[in-house]
Amino acid sequence: MVIDLDKCTGCQSCSVACKAENNVPSGSPEEHTRRLTPFWQKVIAVSSGEYPSVSIDLIPMPCMHCDDAPCVTVCPARATYKREDGIVMQDFRRCIGCKYCIVACPYGARSFNYKEQEEMPYHRPDLPPERADRGPWPFPRRVHGVVEKCTFCFHRIDAAIEEGKKVGEEVVPACAEACPAHAIAFGDLDDPDGNVAQLLSSRQATRLREEMGTSPKVYYLLR
Amino acid sequence: MVKISRSVPTQASPGRRFGISRRAFLKLAGLAVAVAALGRLIKRPALGTIVPADNYPEGEGVITEAYPATSCLNCGTRCATRVRVVNGRAVKITGNPLSQVTEGANCARAQVGLQVLYDPARITTPLRRTNPARGRDTDPGWTPISWDEALAEVSGRLQDLRDDGEPHRLAIFTGLNTVSDEDILRRFARAYGTPNLITADGLDDEAGQAGQWCADGHYSRSAYDLARTNYILCFGAGILESYEPLARSLRMWGKIRRERPNRARVVVVDPRYSVTALRADAWLPVNPGTDAALALAIAHVIISENLYDAAFVSRHTRGFDDYKDLVLGGYAPEQVAPVTGIPAATIGEVAREFAGTRPAIAWRGRGATGWPGGTYTAYAIYCLNALVGSIDVPGGVIYQEEPPYRPLPGLAPDAAASAGLAMPPLDGRGSAAFPAARVVTNHAAEAMLAENPYPVAMAIGVNANFNLTAPGAPRWDEALARLPYYVHISPTVNEMAGFADIILPATTFLETWAYDHSPPGSGFAEVRIKQPVVAPFYNSRNIADMVFDVATRLGGSVADAFGNIGGSAEGLARYRTAGLMPWEELLAAGVWVGPEYQYYKYHRIFDTPSGQFEFLSGNLAAALQKIGEPTGGDACLPHYQPPDFLGEAGAYPLLLTSYQPLLSVNGDSRDYPWAEEMFLVEHGQGWTNFAEINSATAQELGIKDGDEVRVESPFGSLKTRARVFEGVRPGVVAMARGLGANPNEITGVAYDKISGQAARGGTRVRVYRA
Amino acid sequence: MTGSFITLEGRSRGYRNAVIALGALALAGLVAFIISYVAGHQTFGSSNTVPWGLPIVLAIYLIGLSAGSLILSSLTYVFGREEYRPIARLAVFLAVVLIFGAMLAILVDLGRPEKFWRLFMFFYMNNMRSMFAINGILYGGYFVISLVYLGIIFAGKAAAARITGIIAAAWAILVHLGTGAIFGFIAAREAWFSALRPLEFLAAALTSGVALLIVAVVATFTLTKREVKNDMIASLGRLLAAFIIVLLVLVFIDKLTHLYAPARDAVIYMLAGPSSWIFWVFQIGLGAVVPLVILFNRKLNKTVRWLMLAAAAVVVGVFFERYYLVIPGAAYPQAYAPGHIEGVWGATGSFALTPIEIILAVGIVAALGLFYLLGLKYLELTPALPPETKDDGETDP
Repeated sequence: MVIDLDKCTGCQSCSVACKAENNVPSGSPEEHTRRLTPFWQKVIAVSSGEYPSVSIDLIPMPCMHCDDAPCVTVCPARATYKREDGIVMQDFRRCIGCKYCIVACPYGARSFNYKEQEEMPYHRPDLPPERADRGPWPFPRRVHGVVEKCTFCFHRIDAAIEEGKKVGEEVVPACAEACPAHAIAFGDLDDPDGNVAQLLSSRQATRLREEMGTSPKVYYLLR
Repeated sequence: MVKISRSVPTQASPGRRFGISRRAFLKLAGLAVAVAALGRLIKRPALGTIVPADNYPEGEGVITEAYPATSCLNCGTRCATRVRVVNGRAVKITGNPLSQVTEGANCARAQVGLQVLYDPARITTPLRRTNPARGRDTDPGWTPISWDEALAEVSGRLQDLRDDGEPHRLAIFTGLNTVSDEDILRRFARAYGTPNLITADGLDDEAGQAGQWCADGHYSRSAYDLARTNYILCFGAGILESYEPLARSLRMWGKIRRERPNRARVVVVDPRYSVTALRADAWLPVNPGTDAALALAIAHVIISENLYDAAFVSRHTRGFDDYKDLVLGGYAPEQVAPVTGIPAATIGEVAREFAGTRPAIAWRGRGATGWPGGTYTAYAIYCLNALVGSIDVPGGVIYQEEPPYRPLPGLAPDAAASAGLAMPPLDGRGSAAFPAARVVTNHAAEAMLAENPYPVAMAIGVNANFNLTAPGAPRWDEALARLPYYVHISPTVNEMAGFADIILPATTFLETWAYDHSPPGSGFAEVRIKQPVVAPFYNSRNIADMVFDVATRLGGSVADAFGNIGGSAEGLARYRTAGLMPWEELLAAGVWVGPEYQYYKYHRIFDTPSGQFEFLSGNLAAALQKIGEPTGGDACLPHYQPPDFLGEAGAYPLLLTSYQPLLSVNGDSRDYPWAEEMFLVEHGQGWTNFAEINSATAQELGIKDGDEVRVESPFGSLKTRARVFEGVRPGVVAMARGLGANPNEITGVAYDKISGQAARGGTRVRVYRA
Repeated sequence: MTGSFITLEGRSRGYRNAVIALGALALAGLVAFIISYVAGHQTFGSSNTVPWGLPIVLAIYLIGLSAGSLILSSLTYVFGREEYRPIARLAVFLAVVLIFGAMLAILVDLGRPEKFWRLFMFFYMNNMRSMFAINGILYGGYFVISLVYLGIIFAGKAAAARITGIIAAAWAILVHLGTGAIFGFIAAREAWFSALRPLEFLAAALTSGVALLIVAVVATFTLTKREVKNDMIASLGRLLAAFIIVLLVLVFIDKLTHLYAPARDAVIYMLAGPSSWIFWVFQIGLGAVVPLVILFNRKLNKTVRWLMLAAAAVVVGVFFERYYLVIPGAAYPQAYAPGHIEGVWGATGSFALTPIEIILAVGIVAALGLFYLLGLKYLELTPALPPETKDDGETDP
């Protein structure tokens, strides 16, 4: 994913669209302050400077889907794993809720379900991971006690690939689709002619906390 | 000594020491392993793939799916959307790529539409008040009644008022409604005979509109040709937060920053480091209320250094000499710097940049114009566009084309209605007090309290909540408490509805039939349809349907006025959009896009006495003359009026300003968790607002970040938490509107005289630890 | 192997009261667990900033105690130090009870405890790169080995005990190095990330293990009217002092390193932040300064009462060391991007403990105490009384 911080307007459409797309629950004010509310995509405000030379950067942070993800390394039950196409998946079925991945994630991308979440009338009924791997095992859906995170909307991507659509052009995660400024681009990093490669060569790009050695796959084009 | 021991040490077995025998433990373990192995053997889809729909248990998954096209109404932009409806439930809202105004974009609020639709606080049936006592904290004692009973009573009262020859004593308050509902309510007011249709516009940016009207006769917001502009000089406008059409600005922002070879430059003038300011290339922290001076100082530099578009000025403008004299005479950057708090050098730099980067736009917003004297401020800022030739050119100010709706049949009010319409309007628009105003919303409260020009007998509020959104909000509580009869129409109960005698539950915008279009922004016209994506919930009805029903019950010429225009909300939408495209096609597409915008219409675009862009306003002169006010001096020129602050500087040393963050959903986010939990993105906080104070000011007051404080004005006080924020001028207190403590409760009442705009700026406050 | 071991009669009123009290607390803990299982971890004080709370603190504390205790037993069974033989069985038994408690504590902290079996699916379903998974092997194996060890000890087979003792002690070292690695290998948490973490944990294990052993032995022997040998306790005290110093050195080096490293803020918060009093008063004060003062005082370090006090201080101090690392150590906000992160995303995590969490932890400890008492009654753990002393079953263990 490539997020152009010069185009980004800080509108948080990405955050809200992600919640709507993935049935991510909201919480109460207390839960929000204590960071109990799940957030798959958050926009952080990074400030520096003093009046009048103040500067605030608004940076959308989905899961970085790191190539060397610390969460994948530490998950004992292999509930989080990197799939072939690079997306770091989260399997509720396997998750034992040990929270080691939350501890290990340098980006705060993961959220634990601290309580059973209410099902809202506007929740979509067809959503993996609630529906992935539904079999004889109990707890296929989001229950309390499991960890969740941004999945790059793999359900959209998989469905689109089946229909022969091109990833990054005809199908993108919900955040990229919702961004009004078109600041979020998504596509195949390995495709030299693809949109992502072109964007990365257009100007200086960086990733968050590169010194952590996680090789995140979300790039930021600087202002 | 006898050992009493049940243990058999040689067995090396845990025995019963741990509550479970080793055997049992092993058995369980073995079972677990076996089950695990078995599971592996059972055929399952590979990890991480989606189970095909036919493999779901019965009744689960997607059974029906539809993507009706409609449009949003969480702000006045009314963006086109598509809604994914699965098994009869709306589950996701996305943009409509056919819309050219937003190019398929939406803002975050569009997503929140799901929470608007499924708001658990929605009214399910018409309600009648049983407790005659009215007040903000009084329990109305709602009891459900039927639609028939409700409408019969309402029409009965309306009929009585009309029969008594006093239809003008009906006031209609409107907030955010669809264009079709606005049209139908306007028609009703006219047919019924009341001049008192009080829209919320007077709380919005009437001064901004009047400022433009002074220059070119267009009493409207400006449309800006964003895609092609190279420079935006923004005065107090929340371009990325609240300025409508918002989604268009958001889309164009991406385009002008990085989707074309020229990266547009943006400079923001604002006392507060808004989201727009932080995304811009420079922030000028101007002294609140002094934007006019700054704009004129910039003009000074442009004129004195001969950077203006002489060709345009000479060919298409009038009054330049008067303007030039005024600007050069009193607005040198050095004079203006101490007033505005912007150094003279910076003023010069910005002026040269602005004039040197064509096409450039000077963009005015409520932050700058929401003051007494706001019309002149808007005028001053708007003139900068003319100075650099940015009028009706690519990349400059453009003029919005109206959608070619099929005209409603002519309306001839009957005798009773004509008499009513001839009465002076309640809010004083067009009077000596507000000579050019189209609506003076906030003044209606005073008028009602003073019963001047006459007492209001009955009022209908349609999606309005002035008790929350108007400066000096408590007056509206008083005014409504005194109303003999009040009917409120909206999907939920809000502060204003709390005073009603009858509440009629309206559909939300996702269950309604309507036609809509954005406020000025795109230039070219675009019509959007609204169609129900789900059947209306509970017992709610379309507003237009209610009006049709009431009109029919009233009979006579009122009913006649509503004949042959479709007969229902759907019918009305169909009637008005006839001729655009076939109805079925319009429903499928969701939008009708008008012809491409034509520039350079100088021969016909200026609606002024001279037919040209006027630096010296003939329109304003005419309005002033009508009320006997002087038109000489700078009365018809853009100029700076030092604000009359409300409150003594000694007792109230700080200045209150308020702003509207993006996630303020029509001014009130309280029922929408998605909007609430991320409410203030700059502060990374949700669920509340703050009194934002500069660190220097906070230090003087001995206030630390997070302290509970009281913000007190001469008109009231509120309790909130302090937020020490570098992004606000020292001496200024900034508060977000829409959630948390309501700054409107302590804002004083003042008006921009010319437009009747309720001023939000100018109230002084003091802040102290609570 | 000289000296025989007997069970306790366990019929005294004191014993019974203790069993009832501990049983009640353990039951309360069970109820708290059920509540947390049904309602979810919202009943704990943890959050997405500080995801691990009191149960994990208890778990690593108990693992440390267990490993320490087991390693100490090797003094007798491996190195043949006879002066510790009277307490060596207790040490091994304690180790078994404590590791079971640790596993219970981990179970209780899982979001989905019913899936705990997944932790034991080594290599088959698990990701063995995860320190958690590796520790599954370590803890599980350790539990089994220590049971075997205990059994061999009861069987009286000296040679086998020696070999098993070596294996068990080595495994115990691995266990707690592994526990430390769980924390030490996480780069995201500045205060944890250190190559010293496994060693620090091992030092803490030895320190707290000796301390607990002193406390348990002195309490058990005193309350069952057995003679507490001053010399033995004093020599344990010397061992304790040595371990405390080693631990102190490791903690000091670790914190000092972080004060130099680029990522200092989290550690500065730990040393000087609003909750740093826990560090200075409990971890350093109670855990090191007070005991060292006692243990280096020539008069005090031979008195059982004072040695007990020093040991008790260490027991408390090392608990707070675990607590302080896991909870405030994770609270400092992560620097996702350079600069100050506003609001919730940049806020220091709160770590108020909730009643359920506390009751749960107390319940687990009570259950362990209960097992200990029952063990004393049903297993031959305590040394036989010399003939002239009557064990009239009057006292509690």
